[in-house]
Amino acid sequence: MEVDKHILDYIPLYLDDELQEGERLAVEMHVKGCPDCRAALDAERELISAIRNARPIYKTPASLQANIAKVVQTSGSRHNLVSSWPLIAACAVLLLAIAVFWLAASTSLRGDPSSFVTVAVNNHARYLNGQLPLEVFSDSPEKISAWFAGKLGFNLKLPDYPQGPKPYHVEGARLVGFQDDYAAYVVYRLNGHPISLLVTSDSVARPSGGEEIPWEGLRFHFQSVAGWKVLTWSDDGLTYALVSNLEERGQASCIVCHQDERVFRGLQPSQKSM
Amino acid sequence: MIRFRKTESDNGEHAILENLGALYGFAMSLTRNPTDAEDLVQEACLRAIKGLIQNGIKSDPKVWLFTILRNVWINQWRRRTNGPEFILLGKSRADGGPLQEWLSDERERPEDHFDRNVVSGKIRLAISGLPEVFREVVVLRYFEGFSYRQIASILGCPAGTVMSRLNRARAELRTILNEKNTALMVLRRKLGSG
Repeated sequence: MEVDKHILDYIPLYLDDELQEGERLAVEMHVKGCPDCRAALDAERELISAIRNARPIYKTPASLQANIAKVVQTSGSRHNLVSSWPLIAACAVLLLAIAVFWLAASTSLRGDPSSFVTVAVNNHARYLNGQLPLEVFSDSPEKISAWFAGKLGFNLKLPDYPQGPKPYHVEGARLVGFQDDYAAYVVYRLNGHPISLLVTSDSVARPSGGEEIPWEGLRFHFQSVAGWKVLTWSDDGLTYALVSNLEERGQASCIVCHQDERVFRGLQPSQKSM
Repeated sequence: MIRFRKTESDNGEHAILENLGALYGFAMSLTRNPTDAEDLVQEACLRAIKGLIQNGIKSDPKVWLFTILRNVWINQWRRRTNGPEFILLGKSRADGGPLQEWLSDERERPEDHFDRNVVSGKIRLAISGLPEVFREVVVLRYFEGFSYRQIASILGCPAGTVMSRLNRARAELRTILNEKNTALMVLRRKLGSG
């Protein structure tokens, strides 16, 4: 009788699939030989089935669907425009602006050969030498993001230019090795200048060294390695490295093409502080 | 703050659109009024998008969305009552709003499904009469299919509390269904004689 009561307490949990495998087997074994508990199990199952069948079916109001779809779409656009694109633009502008200062200072910082910066620079140089063929060729950030899906230990969506003709184009991408795992390698071209973007999880690489440049809550690290300009930063679980060899005249072109004066204004204090 | 956009944002936005119907159903069970339900879902989705941009999703997207919707509902209720709310566990809330909208759905009602629809109507009526703390666990478990742990996360209470509330809710519904069986027999007799 005591056992039966114990089993009766377990019946709802059994039907709601909340028992461990051993407990499930114990209930099943018991009800096989106990007609009373079997009847209780059947009655409870019937009740739960009836409750499930009583689920009301509503048609979501069209006005609600339209409103939410619009808000989601606006959010996505704003996200792209306000949140994502300025970072690429900011990095490009920062690289260009800092290059002049950095060349004048003629300081050369050499990174640890195994560091994220060194790997980013080596990949950039190998790509330019034809030693690092791309695995996917597309000018569509969306297609490249889709190609990376499931291949990396993290999620990555490349930002797209919000509207109008792009001032740059994406050449393609591939996987590269880093710290016994894959990192994302993407090649852009801005006014003929190749720019490499390397992305990995911030659990395996954190930006360090070089000159630290705070901007809008993020901390960028700039350094020159083997003549290449490298900007690294971490944000939202990922670490990025942009590698290029930009010319001075590219700065003006960059600002005009990006059509985002906010980014340039936002960079002014950082530039003055250098 | 500038942020690279990750697919998590896409997942969150996708989750909002994908679960809109379920959110509306849950909102209907809370408000029992289409207009209030629509407002509630809209407010919850706006909060979700804002949270998505600022913090991303830290849990299962559907659990996350239902948690937001319920929190919005509680805040709205507190604003209306202008003070802390005390829920009587043994009594249903008398001012829960019009029941008719929640009790009726848009399912076809063919003649051969008469019995089942009568039973379902009875159960919906019984559920609507449950105190809110019991009604919401029934809706979340049996209408939306959440596990005890997920329900506990949505309600912000221990899983044991979810289990005991479900037990009490089922006990009340069982009593009502037993009464239903008697009523159905009477109904069948009337139809047969007519």
